[in-house]
Amino acid sequence: MKRLALLAAGGLLIIGLVGILSISGFAAKDTIIVAVGAPPQTMNPHGSDSDCNLGVVANIFEGLLQRDTSGTLLPALATSWERVNELTWRFHLRQGVKFHNGNDFTWEDVKYTMERLRIPYPVSEFLAFGGLIVSVETVDGDPWIIDIVTTTPTSYFDQNLHQVFIMDKESTESRSIGEIGEYPIGTGPYKFVEWIKGSYLKLEANEDYWDGPPSVKYAELRPVTEPSTRVAAIATGEVDVLQDIPVELFDTVAKNANLEVVTRPARRSIWLGLRNEPGFPTSDIRVRKAMYMAINEDEIIEKVMFGHAFPCAQIPDPPTVGYDAGIERLPYDPEMAKQLLAEAGYPDGFKIKFTGPNDRYVRDEQIAQALASQLAKVGIEVELDTKPKAVYFPEMDEHGLDFYLLGWFDGSYDFGRSFTKLLHSVDAEAGFGGLNGSSYKSIALDRLLEASAEIVDPALRGEALRLLNKVAMQEKIAIIPLHYQEDSYAIYKGRGISFTPRSDTWIVFKEMSIKK
Amino acid sequence: MFAYIVRRIAQSFIVLLAVSLICFAIFQFMGDPVLTLAGRYATQEQQEMVRRSLGLDKPFYTQYLAFLGNAAHGDFGLSYVTQVPVLRLIFERLPASIELAVTAMFLSLFLGIALGVVSSLKPHSPGSRVIMTGSLFGISLPTFLVGILLILIFAVLLRVLPPFGRGRVVKVVGNWRTGFLTIDGLRHLILPALTLGMYQLAVLLRLTRGGMLEALQEDYTRTAWAKGLSQRIVMFKHALRNVLIPVVTIAGLQMGELIAFSIVTESIFQWPGSGNLLLTSIYETDHPVIVAYVMITALIVLTINIFIDILYGILNPKISYD
Repeated sequence: MKRLALLAAGGLLIIGLVGILSISGFAAKDTIIVAVGAPPQTMNPHGSDSDCNLGVVANIFEGLLQRDTSGTLLPALATSWERVNELTWRFHLRQGVKFHNGNDFTWEDVKYTMERLRIPYPVSEFLAFGGLIVSVETVDGDPWIIDIVTTTPTSYFDQNLHQVFIMDKESTESRSIGEIGEYPIGTGPYKFVEWIKGSYLKLEANEDYWDGPPSVKYAELRPVTEPSTRVAAIATGEVDVLQDIPVELFDTVAKNANLEVVTRPARRSIWLGLRNEPGFPTSDIRVRKAMYMAINEDEIIEKVMFGHAFPCAQIPDPPTVGYDAGIERLPYDPEMAKQLLAEAGYPDGFKIKFTGPNDRYVRDEQIAQALASQLAKVGIEVELDTKPKAVYFPEMDEHGLDFYLLGWFDGSYDFGRSFTKLLHSVDAEAGFGGLNGSSYKSIALDRLLEASAEIVDPALRGEALRLLNKVAMQEKIAIIPLHYQEDSYAIYKGRGISFTPRSDTWIVFKEMSIKK
Repeated sequence: MFAYIVRRIAQSFIVLLAVSLICFAIFQFMGDPVLTLAGRYATQEQQEMVRRSLGLDKPFYTQYLAFLGNAAHGDFGLSYVTQVPVLRLIFERLPASIELAVTAMFLSLFLGIALGVVSSLKPHSPGSRVIMTGSLFGISLPTFLVGILLILIFAVLLRVLPPFGRGRVVKVVGNWRTGFLTIDGLRHLILPALTLGMYQLAVLLRLTRGGMLEALQEDYTRTAWAKGLSQRIVMFKHALRNVLIPVVTIAGLQMGELIAFSIVTESIFQWPGSGNLLLTSIYETDHPVIVAYVMITALIVLTINIFIDILYGILNPKISYD
């Protein structure tokens, strides 16, 4: 009898526990939870220059300037700015701003931040930008107007300031680098609450924000790296917004009645670099055109990318200075390609080695395979060599590739800066052509770039960069553009969440709201 | 016994040295961390500056000796990516892995032994056959598939359990946060623990059943029956106790593996444990974290093995180590 009672009690306990365990509770909605594919790496705002990290710390910190969802440059900690001469930039600072620890924001913080950018690991990944800055000084003793002087004429200087986050001098100097990497103190619209690495980052609205407190009280960011789990996270409503729907599972998400899917062309373009050193078949412009025309980009988008990409005709994207809407892709025309190859002296094609990453861009390895089979149709035999990015990028750094794939977008929205890094002839000392994987060299293009760097007037300079872009893409076929990737988001319906994706893929909570 | 343990500990140190050396050797081929750490736009000169600040410009053996010297003082350096001391990073993550592994272990130990005993009682009954067939699935299905299927069934279709994460955790001591004390934490634990323990469960089940079938044929069991002892005493005290020796060995060996190699389960369920950290660190070429992680897990596995050997002696006094 006693045993039976015990058994019954045990049974009840189990049933009760299971009952409690299976209740899933959702409190009243004052929190937005966003799932992202890549975890934030550090809370040191200069410790990573990747967008998945910048886009997160942008909630806690602010730069002198900021960008809205479409990429337009707007004032932030500076209320206005101008380029005084080739080397000098003047900023009027915002008064009455406080850091989250109560310290006042002053010009000394700006000076301190700009100097901090120059300190290598473990402090800053902005060495190149920091190295440009000569001095930060007040103008006529007014602590709210500062002049920043650069070493060389740097036309894109202001274009980069949305990602150079201002730190509090006092608390940064007094704390260890480990603490700075875990407990951020900024001026931004959200205060740091808790960061459990690999699990979540919790933020709370900064009620004293200079632009008024943000509309959403609590914000949470959860990294979910595994694609199928990421889809499960939004399908079950565990998160409100999902960034980066895996292309393989896109249709599953799109069919789900609870979810709204938002997509936009990504800033990142995927393109192919080609060696043009004399003696290589690809140094002949006809061969470059032939390869361009032999690639069926529509097929790649449809079959490889499952429709989730947009053809591109140049490296930069529309908001970038130097983008030219007038540049068009060469048509897909394998017959013409064969004819051009014959004219160039390769009627039977040739062999070429292709090097590319297999874990960096969306379906990068499959794109390479598609390219190889398309080029084979005009007689070009492609030897595929795809490898992990950790091996690929150091190889690219040697500048010895014949034919390679790269994805690119410019964080500072400036094609001049991209060009210097990607296609300028390699000059290690001057820092040119660091990612020029095949040592591409065109004196004419180099000259055009150098001419543009000296133009102070932004409008004129934009013209010059557009010209550079047009000559590089249309006359020189400096690269073969493929497509822009697609940024995709899923939003859980019925929770009143308003969310607009940003061109830079940053997750900026102050732009979101919840309808009550 | 004592001499044996001392010898084992000495061997463990050699193993740890070898492990760290292998790690360092592999780093030479893992890609250059400097390329990202100097930033996308860095010049070659700036990259060299970063290389010097990391000591990566020095020859391989100097780097390795410097590492050993620091490690001997418990200093594994800063993570390249997070810029936080490596040990803090790993110890912050370890509780999650340990809790997951312990839960998986208990699930598989209890269910495995219980089901193994049940299926050995009437080996040809339909119930036993179902259990044995099920265990085949447990052994042959890969972990990632089990995880994805469980998420699909229990989280997406039935909506009774959460699909990922660790849920609400409470701070106990220091940096140890536990999910055991909240209902939300326990709910989040069920699916990943099942996924992680599935293989173990099947192995232990089959091991127990095989051992029980054999033990029940033995003379001492027959004698016990003949003495008129109750079924409970015969089964548990005579038969099962003898069966447990290999079961405990396997379970113990696998406990280390559960902590060290829960990487797949942790990444599927976005479990914030150390396996997840390792995976991210490999992806980001974060060498200091990788080497410290590998050494710590090697240490855990070695320690557990020594304990198993000691436990062996307690379970079966006939075994001695001299």
